[in-house]
Amino acid sequence: MRRRKRRGWRRYINLPYVGSFFITLFILLPMYWMLASSFKTQSNVGASPPQYFPNPISTSSYHSAFNDGFGGYIANSLIIAICSTALVLVFGTFAGYALGRLPMRGKYPVMISLLMISVFPEIAVVAPLYLILKDVGWLNSYQALIFPYTAFNLPFAIWILRNYFLGISLSMEESARIDGAGSLRTLWSIVFPQVRPGVFTAGVFTFTACWTEFLMALSFDFGKKTIPVGIASFGSQFTVPYGAYFAASVIAVVPIAILVLVFRKAVVSGLTSGAVKG
Amino acid sequence: MAAIDLTGGTSATTRRHSAPRVPRDQTTRHFARVGWGFSAPAFVVIGVFTIFPILFALVLSLENVNVTANGFSLLGGTLNNYKIMGESSLWHHALWFTSIYTLVTVAAELLLGTLFALVLERLAAGRGAMMALLLIPWSLITVISAELWSYIYNPTYGVLGEFWHAITGGSAPNVLGYPLSATIALMFADVWKTTPFVAIIVLAGLVMIPEELIEAAEVDGASSWKSFWRVTVPLLRPTLGIAVLFRVLQAFGLFDLPYVLTGGGPGTSTESLAMLGYNTMFTNIDFGPGAAVAVSTAVIVLIVCLVFLRAFRQQVGRETLNA
Repeated sequence: MRRRKRRGWRRYINLPYVGSFFITLFILLPMYWMLASSFKTQSNVGASPPQYFPNPISTSSYHSAFNDGFGGYIANSLIIAICSTALVLVFGTFAGYALGRLPMRGKYPVMISLLMISVFPEIAVVAPLYLILKDVGWLNSYQALIFPYTAFNLPFAIWILRNYFLGISLSMEESARIDGAGSLRTLWSIVFPQVRPGVFTAGVFTFTACWTEFLMALSFDFGKKTIPVGIASFGSQFTVPYGAYFAASVIAVVPIAILVLVFRKAVVSGLTSGAVKG
Repeated sequence: MAAIDLTGGTSATTRRHSAPRVPRDQTTRHFARVGWGFSAPAFVVIGVFTIFPILFALVLSLENVNVTANGFSLLGGTLNNYKIMGESSLWHHALWFTSIYTLVTVAAELLLGTLFALVLERLAAGRGAMMALLLIPWSLITVISAELWSYIYNPTYGVLGEFWHAITGGSAPNVLGYPLSATIALMFADVWKTTPFVAIIVLAGLVMIPEELIEAAEVDGASSWKSFWRVTVPLLRPTLGIAVLFRVLQAFGLFDLPYVLTGGGPGTSTESLAMLGYNTMFTNIDFGPGAAVAVSTAVIVLIVCLVFLRAFRQQVGRETLNA
């Protein structure tokens, strides 16, 4: 933090605090509006002029969200996100270790290819994946999303984990090897504990990406709707059930917000890994 | 989203790669085999669910595709899909809309995100709490933020119309009813959700700048405005470059926000390239032209990415690569 001499009116007004106040308002006002509207009665959600504070406070929107099958969407989202995250972490850790540590030839082209793949827009693979999944009869199944999500999030996880593997000390690993531990055992008991922050980063990113993904979930999963697809399909053409939207949204936001806030450091290090290493 | 070490890691790999090859003994070869074994599951999943579909998309875009309830058949090679796309005014408009949208939102997010980061960097206390706050919009499901903004923009009971009424006395405008205001409304929703992401990246770059450099500039008599442009911005350029690159890639694939907030409307005025591709394939069941739209979008993204990386590398050049 830089200390600066403040001149003139700046002596009386602390600009960073004023600025932070406005940033907080900018971010939180729409979020407040979502929370407040979720606790309004059905008729007050559509009140004009709008109610700034819900009065009376009502949980009827929460009931109607669950009556529209929201519980099932939560279960689908959890199953898909947890399975994809687990697969990404297992496969990504092994690949990251190999690419960071083991003397493979052709690592450089592999890393660059992973980079190229990760910039491909999703729309480019939706049609072919749809036809493939349809052909093998996987549409409307959990694996129709679990495997594409795993594939799409692996490149980032491999890069992050590889950078962690590059950064840890070699000597412990070598002494374990000299003591006769095999590759798997060395990885599990010596190397893996040291890259735990990288695993958290890759895990939180993958989980968040699966939780929020919309295009593939919309295209492949008509029977097993995830939360985004479920919320988008509430109501009909003529009624827009904003109350149910916001009740569902509040429930969908809470777990991911807790996850992201608990692993705040891991998320920030993932977001800035490109910027800081440059 | 792919935050990836673009310079440091690859340059380290390049150096190792171009180093003279040492003769590989038996142990080395053994560990190389272990390495390929360890990475095989990841490469198989990526190969089957990403690389194969990318190639298949290319094939689809060059074929007469017939999709029925039972399956699909390829009826021979053709360039017709690209011809249909090139002659379609929908595609011209989507390309124009997506480009302008990308340009404006990324510029706005960069300016506002840098401003946020400068404020947070000067914060004496509570920076951790502010960082936590910035992560909330980043982790929000885009569909949810789209529903939220559609409620705010609603002409009958939206809070925006209420503010408008309080300030001007006039009746609430139908923001999503006109192409220009609908575009601006989409852009604003995007800026709200993504500026915090840019701010976090820029802040990480800002705290890396040695304090002494800015102090030295100020001792030499530079105003804080001048030292910002002459010292901070040039040192921040690699960070800004990465932030812009990620945002451009993301914005060009725009789908969720207009799909829910405007449905591409009014008419097709806010239909992005990804939406056009999706609608062609899944609404009109026209997979050939749809694949052509999808593939050309991917190619444009790749070209932008390569041009950008090249320009970026020349600008920040050697000092970052050798750092």
